[in-house]
Amino acid sequence: MSIPLVTCTRCTAPLPGDVFNLPGLAPCPGCGQDLQVEVFPALFQSFAPGQTGEAIMEESESSCFYHPQKKAVLPCDACGRFLCALCDCELDGQHICPSCLETGKRKGKIKSLQNHRVLYDSAALALALLPAVTFFGACLTIFTSPIAIYLVVRNWNTPGSIVRRTKIRFILAVIFASLTLLGWFLYAYLIFVLTPRHAHLH
Amino acid sequence: MASEDIEYRRLPGRGVRRQGIATAARTRLWLARDHVLSVDYQWYAEDYKRFYFRDIQAVILRKTRTARTINEVLTPLVCVVLALALSLSIAGGFTDGFAIFWWIIVAVLLAFLVANILMGPTCVCHLKTAVQTEELPSLRRLRRARKVLARVRPLIVAAQGEITLGEIAARMGHAAGPGAAFAVGGDINAPLEPPVA
Repeated sequence: MSIPLVTCTRCTAPLPGDVFNLPGLAPCPGCGQDLQVEVFPALFQSFAPGQTGEAIMEESESSCFYHPQKKAVLPCDACGRFLCALCDCELDGQHICPSCLETGKRKGKIKSLQNHRVLYDSAALALALLPAVTFFGACLTIFTSPIAIYLVVRNWNTPGSIVRRTKIRFILAVIFASLTLLGWFLYAYLIFVLTPRHAHLH
Repeated sequence: MASEDIEYRRLPGRGVRRQGIATAARTRLWLARDHVLSVDYQWYAEDYKRFYFRDIQAVILRKTRTARTINEVLTPLVCVVLALALSLSIAGGFTDGFAIFWWIIVAVLLAFLVANILMGPTCVCHLKTAVQTEELPSLRRLRRARKVLARVRPLIVAAQGEITLGEIAARMGHAAGPGAAFAVGGDINAPLEPPVA
């Protein structure tokens, strides 16, 4: 068994066991920096080798969909294909084949595998608000406000942040963009309808 | 397919993760039933890293000098600006516009200094798993990091079990013999020398 290595995060010197799990700080033997190291049993666990799947001995035995020469041990919980021990990917208590895992990750159906999300609500809110509060950007709101509303309508049901659940940004974006557009319509009305030139034509 | 909703609770602390010369992402930690989620917020996107309780091997807090350095810089600065504001006020009166400006500067610097003192010493926090040692930039203050650790530790213990100091010593000693891993900078996988009689 190799020694589990916890190193100082400054000088990378291996840390002795007597600095682990102390209530306070202890100096690193290498650089003297004060450290608090909390270790857990996983540090000392050795990894079990991965399973390869048993070969089929009898013709009556079911075979793996992906490896016909290997014995099937269970079906995929998503597609139902028979899987050998090698193809069995356990995730959140479910057994999934590599193909379904790949599809689920690509389509964003497996939340625990997602590591990136675009926040359309923040983008819409920024488009609705930021140009309006800047002096020169205010002129751009005639373009950015409809884009913000489009983003809200288009992505209302698109999954947003994993950790935030509300749609308040979408709602605020619609309100601000609508108010801005209303302002533009009012401005256009005042310019083209109520100016003396038009009054004279009437 | 595994896609059930996960309830997240926000952990204290926020920080900035530098990603290049000019780019950075705000970062926060969130707590789920079976993992800690590190979220990097960029302009219109979020990046996630999950640290499952069963995989966490160690949490390493290293105290840094940043807070002390800030105090060492801010204290003389406050004193100088305070002296300047006082002298201006004595010369031109406390209602003098220039003096008021310097009093505002004093107040702002003093607020930073007091906040820095109240927040306590700074630290760098790393979380170690079998495949990575990840820095957690949201835990930059020792007190806050300990608070988060106190909240996460029972969950890790629930997932992995408890390990005592005796067990740690025994396992490390059993693995390599007494003191073998403790030689700083030495090759910990090198064969042990025979004990001296």
